[in-house]
Amino acid sequence: MSEHEHSDEQHGSPPSRGRERRASDVPPDTLRERESFVRTFVRKGMQYTEELLRENDDLRSEIRELREEVGQLRSQVASDDAIRDLLRTVERLETERRELLERSRNLEASHREEEGRHQEIEREVSDLANLYVASHQLHTSLSVPKVVQHLHDMLGQLVGAESFMIYVLDEQRLHAVPVASEAVPADYHCEVLLDGHRMGDACLTGLPKVREPAGERPGSLDDPIAIIPFLADGRAVGVASVFRLLPQKSAWADVDLELFKLLGAQAGAALIAANLYQRVASPTEALRGIPSAVEAQLGSTENG
Amino acid sequence: MMRQLLVFALARIKQLSVTEAEDGVDGLRKLAEQRFDLIITDINMPIMDGLKLVSRIRSDETHKDVPIIIITTEGSAEDRQRAMALGANAYITKPIQAPQVIAQVKELLGK
Repeated sequence: MSEHEHSDEQHGSPPSRGRERRASDVPPDTLRERESFVRTFVRKGMQYTEELLRENDDLRSEIRELREEVGQLRSQVASDDAIRDLLRTVERLETERRELLERSRNLEASHREEEGRHQEIEREVSDLANLYVASHQLHTSLSVPKVVQHLHDMLGQLVGAESFMIYVLDEQRLHAVPVASEAVPADYHCEVLLDGHRMGDACLTGLPKVREPAGERPGSLDDPIAIIPFLADGRAVGVASVFRLLPQKSAWADVDLELFKLLGAQAGAALIAANLYQRVASPTEALRGIPSAVEAQLGSTENG
Repeated sequence: MMRQLLVFALARIKQLSVTEAEDGVDGLRKLAEQRFDLIITDINMPIMDGLKLVSRIRSDETHKDVPIIIITTEGSAEDRQRAMALGANAYITKPIQAPQVIAQVKELLGK
């Protein structure tokens, strides 16, 4: 019941007829009911509004959280993508690294092979140089002592022989007569009968005899570690015997055998040439008779 | 023969010219006439052996720093030590291996 309705009732004024119904005309019970309803309505409305506001706050809060979560998830996704990219890059680089390592290993192996081949060629060139020098020395001298000295140097400096003797065969080719030596006992300086001696076998065949330098059988006059016959026109005219190698040389090298072949093929001719030359007065005299000898040879060739 | 082998081997090193001497005395004479960057000598030589030659070179203020290589048949450790103590820079034993000589020459000449 409103204050206005109360007032009218208190003043005892009768309800006006023909005018609008006033609140004071409404029965008090109804008024009370209306008031109660309105109060209840308003209260509930307020409660509802408060609830809505709370709910609104909650929703806002939740939205905020969800947004944050979305932001984090997005970051994570981006990060995951970045990680995936990185992983892919790492894998690619790892593959490249393996390939490079493989290539490096192959190059290294190839380089080692090349290096080995290079060293082999160096050795071959060195050996060829030794052979060239040996041959050159033999044939540039027409002095018997010098030729013998060259043979001596070859055995000592190229082969590395420490003890050896150089012989020429006598005219009957029955004995080997010493002409040079290095580090041999005094009793080695004697003629050697070739028949029955290993030197004789080598002179017969024209082939060097070489055995292992080290071991239980040291070289001796009767059993040298190497015998090198010097040939001229297919026959032995001299021979070298090696008894011992220098301490720093424990085995024969391939070039030694080549040198022995060279000595075998050229030393005899060098000795003969030098020996014949020293019997003439001059080079011109030594050449005497060559034109006619060549002519005679040509003539016999033409006549078949 | 060693000289000829060495000349042949050293010809493979570019910008290197070689002067030969007959023996130690001839070597000292040539040293007095011109400067050399490296000396190679044997030990067993007539007139003056290689060790005496090394000693004489090292006692000369002008040549005391010239590198010296000895090439010899003497292969014992004592021979080597004696040569190095006298002032040799390298000691190579025979039989001569050209690649070894070339490598040593290059090393001492800093090539």
